[in-house]
Amino acid sequence: MSQPAPPPIIEDPFTLYFWEGSAAHQLLIMRCQSCGTWIHLPKPVCRNCQSMDVKPEPVSGKGTVYSFTETYKAFHPYFVDKVPYLIAVIELAEQPHLHFQSNLVGVTEADVEFGMPVQVEWAEFGDKTIPVFRPVTREGTVA
Amino acid sequence: MAITTKNRRVAIVGVGYSNVGRNTGLTERHHAAQAANAALADAGLTAKDIDGVGSWGGDAVDFGYMMGFQDLRWELNVGVSPAFIAPAYHAAQAVAAGHADCVMAFRIMMQQPSSAKLAAGGAMLGAPSMSDTVFQYPYGNFSPTQWAGLLMNRYLHESDSTEEHFAKFAVSQRNWALLNDNALQRTPLTEEQFLSTPYITKPLRILDCDYPCDSGSAVIFTTEERARDLRQPAVFVDSSSLCSIHDMNFEALPDMVRTAPVKASKELWARTDLKPSDVSTAHLYDGFSVITFQWLEALGLVPQGQAGPFVAEGNTSLGGSLPVNTDGGAINVGRRHGANFCIEAVKQLRGECGERQVAGADVSVWANAVGPFAGAMLLTKS
Ligand SMILES: [Zn+2]
Repeated sequence: MSQPAPPPIIEDPFTLYFWEGSAAHQLLIMRCQSCGTWIHLPKPVCRNCQSMDVKPEPVSGKGTVYSFTETYKAFHPYFVDKVPYLIAVIELAEQPHLHFQSNLVGVTEADVEFGMPVQVEWAEFGDKTIPVFRPVTREGTVA
Repeated sequence: MAITTKNRRVAIVGVGYSNVGRNTGLTERHHAAQAANAALADAGLTAKDIDGVGSWGGDAVDFGYMMGFQDLRWELNVGVSPAFIAPAYHAAQAVAAGHADCVMAFRIMMQQPSSAKLAAGGAMLGAPSMSDTVFQYPYGNFSPTQWAGLLMNRYLHESDSTEEHFAKFAVSQRNWALLNDNALQRTPLTEEQFLSTPYITKPLRILDCDYPCDSGSAVIFTTEERARDLRQPAVFVDSSSLCSIHDMNFEALPDMVRTAPVKASKELWARTDLKPSDVSTAHLYDGFSVITFQWLEALGLVPQGQAGPFVAEGNTSLGGSLPVNTDGGAINVGRRHGANFCIEAVKQLRGECGERQVAGADVSVWANAVGPFAGAMLLTKS
């Protein structure tokens, strides 16, 4: 039996940058060009200064684990053979509370810690590439 | 100058449910009609007395015409919003302002697909038209249980609560349900049974979630003057709030422990002379159990981070210092999306709860939702 198709992703010109960046292994986050505030999830306006001059910019890909949950039940056919998997909210290093929801890889649930440093890496999602996160040691090397 | 807004005292005079159950085979209109007739009978009102309708689920305008209400002076269909508090809050405001005299607020909710059906590709949760799902679906995030797992795990990290406390909470709620003929879950539950059920998304178990079903709920709001002549002892709206602090992306909340209930509670208490220590019974949303814990702390009923130990000491159970979710909560009465908390608060203040009646109940708070948005209402007996 063939692999079930991944869940549909809405083709939206406004979020196309995310897929293009990911294909080039670059994590892009929307940023206000007027005051410098990072905006995720992306919006056409900055809630800090109300400027509509927003543009995606690369970030370091470094962050820490704010929260996580290990999912055991599949809610879509594509994920039936992937459970259990770790969903996590990563606080990106660029700004306090800049929360990016992703998957944690290379670690078991029991070894995940709140505040643990992580680094972006790249995973396949159907014919697309997505950013996921892996714990790093305090020295910054991949665990 | 025209006077367009009055400031009338508002009462709840009628409450009712449809024939709530699992996959009932009935339509939203059936559930609305059953709940409406139950609420009218409870109040001793007729359809022609109703001049305003608000609903989440189905269509308020459709229900009003179907039921033979008066030509409506006020109507509202709420969109995605913090459960039943949204139509209830606005219904009370419409009566207070004098834009309608007798308003029925509905929450009609049909059972959602099971995870087995979702995994088999037979259905899809969520709204794929929302562009924000491009940041969720690739990570296998589809279900509200998953943001609840994230909120619950962070709550466990920051508070003194443990999974064992959540087990004790589930048992306390089930014990209330054993005293409620209207509950769907009525077999005794032990902490061991709770802890032996598998995780859906750790640390969240199925018994941390409300119970999916088809439900219709209706509540009638009117003026104090009108309420005095009706069948039931009037229950008064003392204070209410409806607040939001974030968009609908729970995963992006800057703080997953202190969320919209904090803001809604602050507003609720700022609009009354009553205090948290005056509350006799609390009816706090349990779509996921961590939500009840957040509300206990946000409302100032329990110190921050102490909801778990408070529950474990038996305070929220029958005979405890603060009975909570005395109908058994939505985990046991089924998903009525917040309306059951309003209706149970009214029944406690009327003194009609039989074996589960809290003696001397005179102030009750009910509260809905968590995260981006939330609302609460304080009800009194006199
Ligand atoms: Zn800005």
